Order: sequence, then structure tokens, then C-alpha cells
Amino acid sequence: MSARETILNAVRAGLDNRKVDAEAVRREADALLQDLDAVRPELPAGALVDAFIARVTSPKVAATAERIKDVNELPAAVRRYLDLHKLPPSVALQPAAVLKNLSWHGLETRGEVAADDIVGVGIARWGIAETGSLVFHSNPETPILANFLPLYHIVMVHESAIVAFLDDYAAVVVGQRPPRNVNLITGASGTTDIEGSLVLGAHGPAHLHVVIVKDTPEL
Amino acid sequence: MQEATVSFKARAERALADPTLKLAIDRTTGTAERKRAVAMTQFPQFEAARERGKRIKDHVIANLDHYLLEFERNAIESGAKVHWASTAEEASQIVVSLCKQANAKRVTRVKSMLGEEIGLPHALDEAGIERVETDLAEHIVQLGGDRPSHIVWPSMHRTREQVSDMFKRAHRVPHQEETIEAMVASARRELRDKFLSADVSISGANFLIANTGATCTVTNEGNAELTTTPPRVHIVTAGIEKLVPSIEHAFLMLRLLVRSATGADVTQYTTFHCGPKQPGDRDGPEEFHIVLVDNGRTRMLRDAALKEMLRCIRCGACMNHCVVFRQLGGHVYGGTYPGPMGAVLTPVFDGLESSRDLPHACTMNGKCQEVCPVAIPLPTLLRGWRDRSWREGLEPTAARFGLSIHTFVASHPRLYRLGTAIAIKVMRLFSRGGLVRGMPGLGAWTKHRDFPAPARRSFMAMYKNSENKR
Ligand code: SF4
Repeated sequence: MSARETILNAVRAGLDNRKVDAEAVRREADALLQDLDAVRPELPAGALVDAFIARVTSPKVAATAERIKDVNELPAAVRRYLDLHKLPPSVALQPAAVLKNLSWHGLETRGEVAADDIVGVGIARWGIAETGSLVFHSNPETPILANFLPLYHIVMVHESAIVAFLDDYAAVVVGQRPPRNVNLITGASGTTDIEGSLVLGAHGPAHLHVVIVKDTPEL
Repeated sequence: MQEATVSFKARAERALADPTLKLAIDRTTGTAERKRAVAMTQFPQFEAARERGKRIKDHVIANLDHYLLEFERNAIESGAKVHWASTAEEASQIVVSLCKQANAKRVTRVKSMLGEEIGLPHALDEAGIERVETDLAEHIVQLGGDRPSHIVWPSMHRTREQVSDMFKRAHRVPHQEETIEAMVASARRELRDKFLSADVSISGANFLIANTGATCTVTNEGNAELTTTPPRVHIVTAGIEKLVPSIEHAFLMLRLLVRSATGADVTQYTTFHCGPKQPGDRDGPEEFHIVLVDNGRTRMLRDAALKEMLRCIRCGACMNHCVVFRQLGGHVYGGTYPGPMGAVLTPVFDGLESSRDLPHACTMNGKCQEVCPVAIPLPTLLRGWRDRSWREGLEPTAARFGLSIHTFVASHPRLYRLGTAIAIKVMRLFSRGGLVRGMPGLGAWTKHRDFPAPARRSFMAMYKNSENKR
């Protein structure tokens, strides 16, 4: 007997060889998702975008955030961030058309993020107010390493793509074929592995800056 | 498995005699305990969420065959190859032969307790494959040549001074300054090119998502994604109890897991891995393998006394809040999993005969059950093992047992100070009606510490008081 059969038989024996009613199982699983408000934290009252920013900049997430009115303002925002942190005027862009098509004059840009890049600029598909998370789906415009290699990560997200809870993101993608990777990124890379004390920049970015843009997303 | 020849008491002696260990344990578990407490005040829904989490896990366990098949179907559909392993040996053999097929010289690994459970680090070393641990703590464990002492902070037993020495000896460009920041930067420099040049990556999974076939990892360092993206092959090893019906269910469990583990609301990185590289993707593995591991889990399913342990999501809260763990650390438990959950699991994996001391190393104060995010009645399960040990005749006679434990506790002031909890409660429960004799000789008690005045207050009062002081 294969290990597969052995395991499945042992599981069935452990469950008294009852008959599986797939429909009943599904109903029961769905019932466990009822009344979500009772089992998740509350969001502060007010606009979602404000809750999202409050969360992103809270000590728990410890990222920085700013708002811009139009995607065309992104290069200027990046420029300001570089100046503030005394970084060279050079950035690696996530290979997304939206980013490439902006006018970056005055800044040196590369269309790919490499192992030793200092600053990477990316775009997240969604933001989650509950946790201050940014959501990325791997695809030709979104290589996964671009989110992990740079030391400074600047991420744009559209205001209209901010959802309230983790569950709301799940509801948006339900039924879709999942990408190879879904990354939920919440703050910079950190570790507490040496004596429990928190240090940022463990393997991934040490700094995360979130730029929320007001116009509609091109998803 | 490990250190089977050294008795629990001998290991405990050693731990109690180690002057830096207690300090190291306190620094990490103390922080974890405090941060969890704060997280709980900000999550008044915890009780309801915990009840829901318990029901989700119970539902999955009650329909495990259904969910295993659904997961397998969807994983295959996503392009993954699914393997099944009944035992630890089978599982690590599958992984090693996949590595050999891939002609792997260098393998990068994301910390996974299941990997430790199936003896994967050892199996890879035996096969002559270079193994690079990428989680900072596992990197420290690898350099130190020992074993994880905590399921969330595997190198918790090391002080910063020890880590500094190890890094200076092993890293190509080690830190100059004696700060934790500089040490972390040293590890970042050391590991960066190894991430990018590995042939195979191996990770565990915090959740297996039945309706998509995805596996989920949570990390704070970002090492999971850096590890699993560049190599040509990604292998996931996961216990069959890791299933959840959907990503929505995973999110409910995630809220419980992270708050209980570290006091954060989510980890910095939560990633769902689903199949190999898709058309047009710029990075990602070409092969994606999932090894589903039983290794005693179906035995637990058939055992009414252990079935509830299958709910465990490996958060580590029970050990952070365990008075015995906090005195002795994780290595004393001798198995892969330490603390209260380890005391329940190690007899499953290693047999009761060699690990029967573990269920006794418990004060029955109930703290672990209180903090467990899936409400596992750990003290009850431990009591079950004790009963079984008696039934199977593995215990010495009642009087001898009572005396030996009492002698041990009484001769170790740090344990004695825990109140006479272990001594009295254990003896009362397990002397089986046999009279426990009075105080045995205390000759050995000044071996490691001066003997303090015996406790007058109750154990819990003392424990609470020591909490307040921190
Ligand atoms: S037994 Fe409970 S508290 Fe302990 S690791 Fe498992 S889930 Fe966490």
C-alpha cells in the first residue's frame, strides 16, 4: 500500500469510517465564517484610508506614510523621501508599466530590482486597514524578490484599493486562480531572535514607506 | 530521540547549573509574555475568536480525509507535486531524494518545526548536501551545532555575547560593534548571496489551504520569500493537521496565532505559495513539491486522549507561560517540541518509556491551557500520559517516585521556590493513594544555589507577585 493509502485509511479509521457528505462539510465550513465582527478587532471610526494610515504608522507596524493626489506626483514624493534620508538619487522600479511610464527626470531609474539595490519602488494591489498590510500578487509586473531585496522599500497603493479587514481581501479574490505568491507585507523586515530585542532590516527591507494615491486603480 | 540516554533529571540538573541560561530564557519569554498581554487588551474579541478557532480546527480534524483530498486535488491543479509520508524517515527520505534529483549542492531552509521533527537537518547533512538555515535563530542554532530550544525563538538559549562570538568566528565580514543591530547586519551580509545561489529551498507551512492548494508561511524576517523564490525547486513539508478549508479560515487562525506567539497582530510577512512559477512570472521555482506528513498524527486522531492536540497551531504561548519551562528552558525536554505542548507530543513521537518524565514536569497550574489560542486542555492531556505510564507499568513504585521527585525538587531551590507546587501536587496526584513520606534529606540542596526560606504563600500568589515585579 502506498503511504497515501495508508494515511487516508488511518484517517478514515480514526473517524470511524463515516460517510463524507461534501455538501454538509461545506455548509459547516461556511457557518464558521458567520458573524465575523465578533471574532476580529474593531476598526476605528472614520474613513478607511485614515484607519489604514493610522495603522501603517502605528508603533506596531512602524512604517511611514504620505498621501498624494495623483499618480504623477509619485516621482516627486520619492525624491523628497530620498532627500530626507540622504540617499543617492537612484531607484530600482518594480517592472510595472504604471511606474515605468511616469516621468522620473532627475532620478536614475532601473527597470528591475537587483540584489544590492538600496531603494526599490513598487506598487501594491491592495491595502488592509485592519493590519496596515500591503498585498502583492506575483505576475509579470510583480516579481516577488523586488519586495525583499532593497533596503528601503517605497510602495504606492491606490486609496480605492484599501479594504477594511483581511477577510475583505479574501472576499475580493474568492474563486480566482491564485497567483504563485500572495505577499501580505506589514512593516519592514524585523527580527527578535537575539534576546528578544527587535532589530529592523533582518533580511528584507529595513524601511517601508507607503504612498497612498487618490485616483482610481488600474487593476 | 535526542539525548535519550541522558535522563530528564540529569538534563534539568545541567540547565539549573547554567548561570546564563535563566537570564537568556527570561529575556525572551518575559518579553513575549508582556507583549501578548498587551495584545489581548487590544483584542477583546479574543475569547470569541478562540472559540471559533477551536471549532475550525475541530471541524477540519473531523473531516480530515475530505480536506486532504481536496487540498491534494487543488495543489496538483496548481502544478504542484504532492507526496505522502507515513513516518519521519519516509518524509526526510523523500526530501533528500528530491534534492538529489535536482542535483542540489546547496539547499536553503526556512525554519520549520516539522522539519526538525522529521530530522531533516540531520538527513541533509548525512546526504552531504550543504544546508543553509536562513532564519536568524536557526542560523545561530546551526553555528552552535545544537538544537532549537523554543518553537518560535529557537536560539532563545543564547545570550548576545555568545552569538557575537559565533558570528565572529563564522562570518566572512563580521560585525565590529558589539550591538545586536550590528550582529543582525552581519548575518544579513553573510546569507544574502546564499539565498540567491541555492539549488533547492525547503520550507514548512503554517497553514495548508484546502480550496486552493496553497501553503502559507508567516515570518518577520522575510527569509521565507527570499529563500523560496530564487531556487529552481521549492519543497514544502507539512503535517496533515495544518489544513484549513479556505484563506478566510486561515485569516481567523492567523489572528490567534500571531497574537499568541509574539503579541503582534500579524507577522511582517504572510505569504501564500501556490504551485510553481506561472507563465510570464519573472521569478519563482520551476518545481513545487509538497510532502504531507503523518508521523503519529493519525495515531493521535484515533486516541481520544490525544485527539485535541491536533488543534495545536505551534504558537509557543504555552511554553512562554510555563513556570517549569521558564526555569529549565527547552533543551531539557529532550525532544523536538519543548514546554507543555512538547510534553504532550514527545511521548507520541519518541515513545512514552523514554519520555515519561515529561508529563510529570508540570505544576498543573493551568496557565498553558488558559493562554492556548485553540483551548487545548494541556494539563488534562498530560494527566492522561501519567495515567498511561502507570497502567503500562513504566513508573517506579509510588513511594519511590514521590520521594525521588520530591528530593529533586527540594534539592533545587529554584524549583522549590516555584512553591511546593510540583512536589505537593504531583505527589498527591500520583502517589496513587500511597502515603508520601515527609521531607526527605536535603543534602544536595546547596549544590547550585543557597537555600531560601521555604515558601509560606501559595504558589500562584508568588507567581503573580513575581510577574508584577517584572
Ligand atoms: S498547545 Fe496551544 S499554546 Fe501551546 S503551542 Fe500549541 S496552540 Fe500554542
